[in-house]
Amino acid sequence: MKKTIFTTLATVAIILTSFTASAQKLVSSNTHFKFFSSTPAENIEANNYKAVGTIETGTGEIVFSVPMQSFEFEKALMQEHFNSKKFLDTKTNPKSKLIGKITNLNQINFGKDGSYPADIVGDLTLNGVTNPVKEKATITIKGGKVALSSKLNVTLNDYKIAFSSGKPSTNIAKTVEVTVHAAY
Amino acid sequence: MTTKKKIFKIALIVIGVGLLIGGGVGYYMFNKPARDVQNTETDFSYQASEIVNEYLSDPKKANDKYLDEAGNSKVLEISGTVAEISEDFNNQKVILLKAEGDKAGVSCTFTAETNASTQNIQIGDQTTIKGVIRSGASFDADLDMYENVIIEKSDIVTTK
Repeated sequence: MKKTIFTTLATVAIILTSFTASAQKLVSSNTHFKFFSSTPAENIEANNYKAVGTIETGTGEIVFSVPMQSFEFEKALMQEHFNSKKFLDTKTNPKSKLIGKITNLNQINFGKDGSYPADIVGDLTLNGVTNPVKEKATITIKGGKVALSSKLNVTLNDYKIAFSSGKPSTNIAKTVEVTVHAAY
Repeated sequence: MTTKKKIFKIALIVIGVGLLIGGGVGYYMFNKPARDVQNTETDFSYQASEIVNEYLSDPKKANDKYLDEAGNSKVLEISGTVAEISEDFNNQKVILLKAEGDKAGVSCTFTAETNASTQNIQIGDQTTIKGVIRSGASFDADLDMYENVIIEKSDIVTTK
């Protein structure tokens, strides 16, 4: 009898702990966003290490908030163009945001080490313009630590970022690649 | 005839020199180095709590005051209590200055050149850090948490 009660209690305890472990909000402030543009004229790269992200493991909700002035370019002039009103207008819109949801959450086991492909559907707000996005990401769990990586293509025109003339119009790709790494 | 030739020659020299200067300035502008934040004069000095509260009470006004259209935003010196010390993906040290009980703090990222300055800093220390502001503190409803003020290109301000 005592044994049964003990076993029941133990089972309940295990279920409760695994439930709380599988439904929690993970926060990442160790992130890397890389912007890469390639044209025959030149390759342009910028790096940002100051984004903050969360994953709600119970619902699959993913959020990233990216401080736009933290993108660091090799050339100061490029950085100034990037921040300017003509491009990303970072004074008016200091942050860009990605809000998404993992649609194949049942295929990801946050409690077990491994590498899981994740499908994410959501909205990206850049330059004050919001568009729906559908992206693939990889969620890696190692020793209980969760990490996310993804690569998305951003078409600048969709976000009203366009250079009609001059050097930037020929030297910046119409679609840029954004690589994301986040450790939670 | 000779005067005409002379004028022509001078004009050619002037144009040549003009082109050289123009090209030089253009080349310099294209390749100008990033702003040296640590050798830029400090615009404002605050306690961490002061700038956090200024942002939380009126983010729009604060952005107007501190952020620059070209990204050359204000250079700040922030004093406060060291609440966290970490390292980012670029091996840069990150120190969070945050007063106990405050909703947000000031997250200061160092550089490869200034990382070493943080060597003797410990959690709980009082220190002053100089850097350029990138974004302010706010409550983000989607993240469901407060975001810190972000300072980069940081270094510890040594008392002279």
